[in-house]
Order: sequence, then structure tokens, then C-alpha cells
Amino acid sequence: MTTAQPRPAGQPRHSLRTDILEARPVNLDGFVEEWPEKGLVAMESEFDPAPSVRVEDGRIVELDGRQRADFDFMDSFIADHAIDVASAEESNALPSAEIARMLIDPRASRDDVLAVTRGLTPAKVLDVLKLMNVVEIMQGMQKMRARRTPANQAHSTSARDNPVQVAADAAEGALRGFAELETTLGVLRYAPLVAIALQVGAQVGRGGVLTQCALEEATELELGMRGITAYAETISIYGTESVFIDGDDTPWSKAFLASAYASRGIKMRFTSGTGSEVQMGNAEGKSMLYLEIRCILMAKGAGVQGLQNGSISCIGVPGAVPGGLRAVAAENLVASMMDLECASGNDQSFSHSAMRRTARMMPQLLPGTDFVCSGYSAVPNADNMFAGSNFDTEDYDDWNTIQRDFQVDGGLRHVREDEILLARSKAARALQALFAYLDLPAVTDDEVEAATYANSSADYPFRDVLADLKGAQAVMDRGITGLDIVKGLESAGFHDVAENLLTVLRQRVSGDLLQTSAVLTADFTPLSAINDPNDYAGPGTGYRLEGERWAELKKLRHVTSATDPESEVG
Amino acid sequence: MSASLDTGLTRGDYPLSVNRPELLRTPTGKPITALTMDAVVSGELSAEDLRIAPETLELQAQLADASNRPQLAMNFRRAAEMCAIPDAEVLGMYNALRPRASTAAGLAALADRLETTWSAPVCAGLVREAAEVYARRDLLARAGAEDGEDTP
Repeated sequence: MTTAQPRPAGQPRHSLRTDILEARPVNLDGFVEEWPEKGLVAMESEFDPAPSVRVEDGRIVELDGRQRADFDFMDSFIADHAIDVASAEESNALPSAEIARMLIDPRASRDDVLAVTRGLTPAKVLDVLKLMNVVEIMQGMQKMRARRTPANQAHSTSARDNPVQVAADAAEGALRGFAELETTLGVLRYAPLVAIALQVGAQVGRGGVLTQCALEEATELELGMRGITAYAETISIYGTESVFIDGDDTPWSKAFLASAYASRGIKMRFTSGTGSEVQMGNAEGKSMLYLEIRCILMAKGAGVQGLQNGSISCIGVPGAVPGGLRAVAAENLVASMMDLECASGNDQSFSHSAMRRTARMMPQLLPGTDFVCSGYSAVPNADNMFAGSNFDTEDYDDWNTIQRDFQVDGGLRHVREDEILLARSKAARALQALFAYLDLPAVTDDEVEAATYANSSADYPFRDVLADLKGAQAVMDRGITGLDIVKGLESAGFHDVAENLLTVLRQRVSGDLLQTSAVLTADFTPLSAINDPNDYAGPGTGYRLEGERWAELKKLRHVTSATDPESEVG
Repeated sequence: MSASLDTGLTRGDYPLSVNRPELLRTPTGKPITALTMDAVVSGELSAEDLRIAPETLELQAQLADASNRPQLAMNFRRAAEMCAIPDAEVLGMYNALRPRASTAAGLAALADRLETTWSAPVCAGLVREAAEVYARRDLLARAGAEDGEDTP
């Protein structure tokens, strides 16, 4: 063995440090140069239109340099539904710097800002955001987030679509603090069983947690109508007419769908994000943020209460260009300054670097958003059927520690293992009893035992997939509803879980969860932008992590006792 | 749904399920307080009892108006009109609004049906507006191509 390997001729010699840096995970990430002509640019493009607006006879006749006759359907929808015509000319005449200052000035209230922003055009909004650095964007978010109290949302899925796993992981996720839980499938036909498991697990973990199952629009709506799920989110919208059409929708079809959900008392938000138009091949030469602002205004015009954005499944695209994550933070702020609920990304995985993954969520975690993640993986990433998340179950203790380090509320908390095992076991047993009641494929005692102590889907006995798929079809054919689930849980002796689910179902009769940023608290009080409005007005005001909640977040897996350094507290 | 149901709701009335439960009824006319576990177990309740009533959506629309959210209120008013329309027909209407799924005549007929059969003038207005924009942007199906297989 010689210390100096012969170098192939013509290859330059690298330093040992370069070798180390080359091997760092961040260098597995993809980075590209900007290409504004194709829209591969975050938020600074000379091809974006200049702001302009003109109103005639109570109608917007010019929008960002385009005359009404030339409006594409996004322009038309935004001009006729999103922008407040009465204030449009006056608001757009304000210097962009003045509006940007209002966003960070604590003496301007959230309502003061909304009085201006509701009249702005997409290009004007972009012009404002271009003036703001990422710290200013965070300051804006701190004030403009619709709900005063931040929350978090998780994915609960299974690589084997195993309903027992989904129930147990949903129970643990709910117990740890997620206010919403979302599932989806590898094999779509499994959906009814997995959606039922998610609902049962969630109500075991913490009564009032809301659940959804991401599917194609019509099926997703059907599960919601039956009361098997409680809300919906994967209603995608796009910033260019051509990509919107490729998605087989228009702003009018999506607005109609929004009302369809509300007509059944079901909470719903749209989904959009920077990079989707480039990824789908037709950004029409506009920057990612400009197109996302058009989506946000479209969502507002449709009257949907909220939006999941922050690039979501296209995060690799803004993540690859300069200033991309600044633009992602900016798009969350725009959703909030349009008075929409914002489930702010930190969803699909985008980087091999632990440092980059953590940095990516700071602009949402530090100021707080309505849902800091719109999909923290409450299962190991190998089980994440949304193509992996920026954070998963292995990151729970890190997340809790970061909350404690900075005294910020990211919606989670440390829970002792004995409590977790109880909840996991109970969720699996409740599902076992419910499946028996509904004559669905049995959950064995071995599966319950596995669910209690498992980490991933690999730790469970195999299920009979064909029998499960038949059972799933039977759920649809027999017209099983949320009410049947309540009855089954009640008759099997899971009274508290049944009562929790009934209370969630009763909420759709009241419509309270349809209001902006609504979640259900542990005592089943709807908490939304109406009764928990963000009242931030500078230091010492707004949501502060203090009192009982702060005491809860001080707890970690290992904290040394102050009085007895030999022991741990918690 | 007419806006004549003016209850003078203010933001302080929210959440209605906590502060004004007496205003909330199911589409079958039961008070929300009747949705108890006993009623579930005895079989008195059906899935129909767990749906929202158009009158409730109007109340939520008033709260949205009181919170300065006119678009949200408009969404709730369209939703109130849709409550009576069966699930399958709602889905069919949604599909008819997809790009190049309907002819001008098809959308006009849909708007008329919303207005006359379902007393849904606000929804009908949305469909008519879509028809106008679709015509301008070449997003209508050609006559005889209602299945959306048409190409531009």
C-alpha cells in the first residue's frame, strides 16, 4: 500500500479538503443557473409584467399592462373576483416601498395592511415582495398569519397501505400535537380502509384532530361527503392558463368545487406552489413567484378559505435556483397577506443536507404560520407515500429541541413513551373492533402488538391485500359513512373515541370549520381567524409561547434535574 | 338562498356551535343538540342528519361578511344553493366545467338548470361567466364533442 495513488494522466490533483466537501450530502442536491426565458427564476425576472390597473364603470379593464380584451382566464378571474375594485387604483398607486414597510411596521395592524393588499394586482404584490429580504418576510408573516395560534400538519401513510400502521401512527401524531393529519395511498383502491384507519387513529390520539385523504378530486370529495374524512387539501391550481388546462381544470371549475365542499360542510383549501408551472413545462416566461401570486389571488377570488403553498411537491425547482427559498417564504407571506389560511410547505423532501433541511423551515417556524408544515412525515420517510417529507419521525426530538431552544411553537411536543404506546395500542384495538363490527378483514392480535411497538411498515405482519381491497370496495358499495364508524366504535366499547368522532362530524352541521384557518382544539372549540385573530402589534404582543404551553415545550426526552443532577425530569 | 335571513350576527357569535347553537339545525330540521350518541345508537340519525343546512351556510356567510371576507361569503352562498343538489349531480356539474368538456349550449343548459330546477342563481351566474370566458379562450367543446375529446 503506497500513500500516493498514481493519478490518471490529465486529471488535476484535488486537495483532501475538496474530497471531503465533495462527499458532503449537500453536493448530492441539484443546482441550476437561472433561465428567465423559461421561467426558471425565483422572483427577479425582467420578463414579469410591470404593475398597472385601470378601472372603468366599476370593472377592471387593465391589469398589469394587459387590456381586458387580451386577458387570459387567470387575468379575468383575478380581475373579476379577487381584487377589490373599489380600492384597486388607490392601493396600486401607493409606492411599493410604503406597502413593504407597512408589512413590517408593528404600528400598522394586520387589518390596516389588508385594507391595502386586497386591492393589489399580482405584479404589484411581486413588486412589494421584491423589496423584502427574508427577515422582513418573516416579520411580515408574524403579523399577517391569519390565526393567532400556530399549528402543524402531518402525513400518516404506509408503504404497504397498511391500515393498522396508519391508525397507530395517526394516534401518535395526534398525541404529539398535529392539528391535521393527511394520508394517501400506494394502491388507490385501499383508500376507504386507510382513510377510516386515519380517522380512528386521530380520534384516539387527540379528539378533534382533522383528517383528510389525498386522492383524485371526485373520490376525495366522495370520502368527504360520507364523513369518512374531515377536510380536503389537494385541490391543485396553477399560475398559467396553459398549465391550468393541462390539469384539466379552470378557475371556474375549481371555484365550483370549492363551493361543493362547503355545501357538504367540509373544510377545504387549495394547493399551489412555486415551480409547478416550470415543472409542467409552461411558465410562459414568468418568474415562479409571479405565477404563484396569480394562484394565490385566484384562490382568494374563488372564496376558498385557505391555501397550501410553499412549493410543496415542486420544491426541488425553487430549491435549485438562487434565492429560491426566499421566494418560497415570500409565497407563504403573500397567502397570509391575502387573508388566506396558509399551510406553509416544509412538506416534500428536497435536500440531502440536514443543515439545508433545517434552514428551509426557519422562515415558517420562527414567525409561526397557520400550519408550519403542510406535511411533516409522522411515519418514517420510507413509508411516506407523498414521496417523502422534509421531516419525519426520526426528527421528532430535534424539532422539539429547536422549539425549546428558540422558545417558538411549532405545534409539537415531547410525549412520554408510555403514553405513546398506550395510544398506539388503543388505536390498533379500536380499528380491530371497528373492522369486526363492519365485517371488514380482521385485524389480528399480532398486528395490534406489532402496531404498539413498531417503527415502520416492515415491523408489521403482512396483511391479505386481496381481502383488504375487497373490503375497501365493500366500504364504497355498502355506502358506509362516518356515522357507521361512530356506531361501530360505540358498540365495541370505545365510547370516548366514538364520541370524539361524532363531535367532529357534528361540526360539519355548524359550518364553523369552514371559516378561515379553522382547527378544533382539544376541547372541541373551533379556533379560526374570527375568534383567534392574529393581533400582533410589536414586541410583547400577539402569540407568545408562555404559561402552560411553554412548560410543556420545555420537556424533552432527556433533561437533567436542577435539584438532582443524577436524575432526569419529565 | 336569500339574504333576507338577517340575524345581525357579529364576529362575537362565532363559533356558532358554542355561542349560538340554537340557530343550528340539520337539513332534516333537527336541532344540533339532537345529534347525540344516544340518537346514533338508537338509529334515529341518518347520514342526512350530519349535513349542513343552507340556512347555516347563510349564517356563516354573514360571519364572513362581518369579517371582511366577501369572497368567502360568496362561496358560502353558492354552497347554500348546492346543498339540495345530489352528490352525483354536483360532481357531474363540476366535470361539465372542466376545459373543453361542454359546448356553449351545454353550459347554457347547465346554468338554466341551476337557476330553475335548483333555485341556484348565484351558481348559475358563475357558469354563465365561465361560458363567456371559455368562448373567448377557446375552451368550449365543439358541438357533438361533449365528451371532451375535442382538440383545439
